[in-house]
Amino acid sequence: MQKFYVRAVFILLTAIFPLLSLSGQEGYTDHKNLSARLSSLEKEYPSLVNVRSLAQTDGGKDIWLLSIGSGDLENRPAVAVVGGISGEYPVGTELALLFAEEILANSRGEEVKKLLSETSFYVFPDMNPDARAQFFAPLRYERTGNAYPQNSVEREPRLSRDPYTDLNGDNMITLMRVEDPSGEWITHPDDERIMIRASFEKGETGKYKLFSEGVDEELYDLFNLHREGMVDFNRNFTFQYPEFSPGAGHHAVSETESRAAADFLFNAKNVFAVVGFGPADNLTAPLSYNERAASGRMVEGILQKDARVNSMVSNMYNNLVTAGVSSANSGSNGDFFQWAYFHYGRFSFSTPGWWVPKTDGGSSNPEVNFLRWAESEGLENVFVPWQEFEYPEFPERKTEVGGIAPFVMKNPPYEYVLSSAGEHYRFLIELAKMRPAIDIVNIRTENLGRDLNRITVDIFNEGVFPTVTELGQRIRWVQKTVINFDPDDGQELVSGKRVEVLDQIEGKGKIECSWLVKGRGSVNIRAGAESTGFKKIEINL
Amino acid sequence: MNLNSSIFKIKLLLFVLIIFSKPVSGQSVDQIFKAAGTPATPKVEIHWNRYYDFDGVTAISQKLAEAHPSLATLESIGESYEGREIWLLTITNFENKPHHEKPGFWIDANIHANEIQGTEISLYTAWYLLESYGQNDFITNLLDEKVFYIAPTINPDGREDYIYNPNTGSSPRSGTIPLDDSGDGIAANDPYDDLNNDGHITQMRRRNPLGQFRECPEDPRRMVRVGPGEQGEFELLGQEGIDRNHDGRVNSDGVGRYDPNRDWGWNWQPDHVQRGAYHYPFALPENRAVRDFVIAHPNIAGAQTYHNMGGMILRGPGIREDEQKYTFMDRNVYDALGELGDKLLPGYRYLILFQDLYSVYGGQIDWFHFGRGIYTFTNELFTRYMYFYEHYEDREEARKAPYLFDRYLLFEDAFVPWEEYDHPQFGKIEIGGFKKNFGRLHPGFLLETDAHRNMAFTLFHAYHTPQLDIHDVQVKELGRGQKEITAVIANSRIIPTHSGIDLRYNIERPNYISIEGGEVLAAMRVHNPDLNIVEEQKKNPSVIEVENIPGNGHVTVRWIVDGGRNYTIKVDSAKGGVVRKSF
Repeated sequence: MQKFYVRAVFILLTAIFPLLSLSGQEGYTDHKNLSARLSSLEKEYPSLVNVRSLAQTDGGKDIWLLSIGSGDLENRPAVAVVGGISGEYPVGTELALLFAEEILANSRGEEVKKLLSETSFYVFPDMNPDARAQFFAPLRYERTGNAYPQNSVEREPRLSRDPYTDLNGDNMITLMRVEDPSGEWITHPDDERIMIRASFEKGETGKYKLFSEGVDEELYDLFNLHREGMVDFNRNFTFQYPEFSPGAGHHAVSETESRAAADFLFNAKNVFAVVGFGPADNLTAPLSYNERAASGRMVEGILQKDARVNSMVSNMYNNLVTAGVSSANSGSNGDFFQWAYFHYGRFSFSTPGWWVPKTDGGSSNPEVNFLRWAESEGLENVFVPWQEFEYPEFPERKTEVGGIAPFVMKNPPYEYVLSSAGEHYRFLIELAKMRPAIDIVNIRTENLGRDLNRITVDIFNEGVFPTVTELGQRIRWVQKTVINFDPDDGQELVSGKRVEVLDQIEGKGKIECSWLVKGRGSVNIRAGAESTGFKKIEINL
Repeated sequence: MNLNSSIFKIKLLLFVLIIFSKPVSGQSVDQIFKAAGTPATPKVEIHWNRYYDFDGVTAISQKLAEAHPSLATLESIGESYEGREIWLLTITNFENKPHHEKPGFWIDANIHANEIQGTEISLYTAWYLLESYGQNDFITNLLDEKVFYIAPTINPDGREDYIYNPNTGSSPRSGTIPLDDSGDGIAANDPYDDLNNDGHITQMRRRNPLGQFRECPEDPRRMVRVGPGEQGEFELLGQEGIDRNHDGRVNSDGVGRYDPNRDWGWNWQPDHVQRGAYHYPFALPENRAVRDFVIAHPNIAGAQTYHNMGGMILRGPGIREDEQKYTFMDRNVYDALGELGDKLLPGYRYLILFQDLYSVYGGQIDWFHFGRGIYTFTNELFTRYMYFYEHYEDREEARKAPYLFDRYLLFEDAFVPWEEYDHPQFGKIEIGGFKKNFGRLHPGFLLETDAHRNMAFTLFHAYHTPQLDIHDVQVKELGRGQKEITAVIANSRIIPTHSGIDLRYNIERPNYISIEGGEVLAAMRVHNPDLNIVEEQKKNPSVIEVENIPGNGHVTVRWIVDGGRNYTIKVDSAKGGVVRKSF
């Protein structure tokens, strides 16, 4: 009877004060609004941006792609910007979207106008829209899995249910702690709102068991066994793919979302760098070169030359972006970030885009630290106070519901998103300016007598980035620099190659090539690749 | 009226004559005396001593399905890169039970474009099953109990390319997506050149006293290396062709190249680790069609795929690190079947892929075994042993054998004689060599024999997919309308309902054993009936979940049921089929 009254009062309160159930998602862009904003970008800048849907997910949502640039987008260097990599980081979608809007808004200025004529941008705002939709759903929880196919739900209707129950009616899933001497959890000494594991070494004994609020264990197991849905885009790629892991799917690149990304990117030979907004971070701290990991056929660590480029970019990033308390994350099995380097062969960068800033007297416990920061900023609705509940599964034990709201530790209130977007915009512009670009310089023709001439040129990479990654040299999907030497019909190539494929040319590096040609006419020389652009010259002998 | 009647009679006579003259071509029925083990007067007559192109495979598949409508259906499970159908024959007795309630056996062939004879063997298998049903007890029972899913070619584009375009016996392996093999940015700009227009890519040689080869005195068609101090006559220039893309290599960039057998979703690695891999698992439409079908048919318990060559019966794994994942039980099953295969296929050996051939990441048998829990073999068809039923220890003997075989048994049909040619880059050369249909493919007269032997191996494998039987039902009155019902479910074949890998990774759902007819109060597994070791299943007692019914093993289940008089026990196993017993 008492339980009923408690619930009734709570429901009444929730009705009167809707703010109690909101958790700071204002400003963030749901799928419908995202689609609308992309559509208006296309209308406003028709000669600079093309929006298309790469695929439709099982939840009926589009995987959007924006191609941004002026002129011929395909035969010059491109940067891929990817958001929605993990359903836990909707902030990534905002950053990708804001980047696209910002660069187009500045497209009449000199800097961006020049950049867009020399570089292309492929922006994928949201790679897993069905997972991200949980951020906006009536019941909010951090979800990484995509939607179930229709026939799966028909065969097993339980799959359409959430695996959690909102016990306290606050429209989100937090934690549930149960007093139980066999439990492993205790409250944090500095902040008893936060739960930590009891440390056996320190002689602590657990007092609580900890669960997600209203978790349905049987349903949860069902989800884990059912591999055709609830798949995490960020566990579905081929590098160190975690076979049979929950959320990994039947096999690598099994999902519509993953295939859409992979198919487009493999086809886009001009992409030289991929920047992803997701859990991995090689920008606040670069990946380090490890000789053992980098050797052998199955490379598991970044190669040496590529590590130096990562270092350089990381320094640039740290000068432009205010980082907070970052947790180093060099990637996880099957993730997009590592695939982009180890298998796709491009420079791969990733950042979560925002961190809880450092505070004075910060704690080593990230959750305690977060609450301190949130309080100092006057943020509301980031913590649900622990409240007692009667839960049928644990009839004898005291059960409480509460905890930090979902999403808030990774996804800040919108004004912070805006300032982060500004910093990342500048970072992406500077990164794009470093693109590799092939030029043919120091063109020399020497006459060796009669009509025999020696032609010597330097193939020069005038960009900061190398033409391809060091690892990319082994990967057939990475196009190296090609030199085509075409003498005229009446001419004979006495020495030198008609077609030559060059290994990596470092930033500001050059390779000398020469040929001996007999006879008069015009010789055509072309050098480059899609990811560096092409340069053509004609020499009249 | 009269006129109509006589016209009608004439029509009837003609009709009857046509009907009776159709099935037998050449000889009439009463001229034939059956040879043991071969359908003598089949409904569909097929020559098994030659190969068929895609249209031929299509026609044969259609004829088989049309001639045996209660035993076979033909469907397309997808389209190749160039839009050809991936044909799938489902063969079973459709009239005794739904086919998805029977244990299934998968057969496919020709994943490698040039390895075509597996297609004929798969079609032979389909033909033999259909034509023997009702004539032979073993085959009749087999099709009553099991369902066969036969995909005669899973690389039809490659097959056509191999047959109709100039190729060697070893090319192409690939499908026909044009890729850049030479790195110059342009796809397929240096394919094979059939300089002498004979449909085969053979060898080029050039007279040169500095060369390292001479004609073998016993058989001048054969080139042998000169010994130290000996005078040479020829240099071998390699494959027939021209360097079209100026990269210094002849035939460096044809259609493809990639290896469709590196495209599967277990332990997939990219091209720079595993040569031939494409973008990601199942990126190739043909393999994707197979994958979709296999996932949609969880009753598939055993599988066979055909390649050439070498005379091997291969089980996985493709890489050394995965061998420890082969459980003791799984190895026993493979060993039992593989050793039978050794016997049925003289000259073939039962081997392990990574150990006895080479390591393969992303190979088909690994995905079938590890990804789907299906016991799978790959047979590498044809071996030199078949020339003279001799194993060759001596290298020289091994090299001579094909020339001897071609001379005395094929009357030199398999060799293109050396002839002069004026090459734009190499000058005066000679072109000659073995044709593409010799070396890896069976010569005509050996094809039916090997088809039958390989088929026999697969039929015994299929026979040993699980066969479940509700063996022994005991009903004990407990009083007050309650009964204790105990049932023993036996599997009389070698293959368990769940392989070791399946159990480890929970690939397939457990077996569901349920009872209807009364109210189920409690359910339990009886681990030992004599010593009364019993374990209750608390949740959902009307459906007992049994994780596995072992090969040549059984499980015992028990319910306490209230009320009811007539009961039905149903065993629903993904790979063991569905069986019911009412009492």
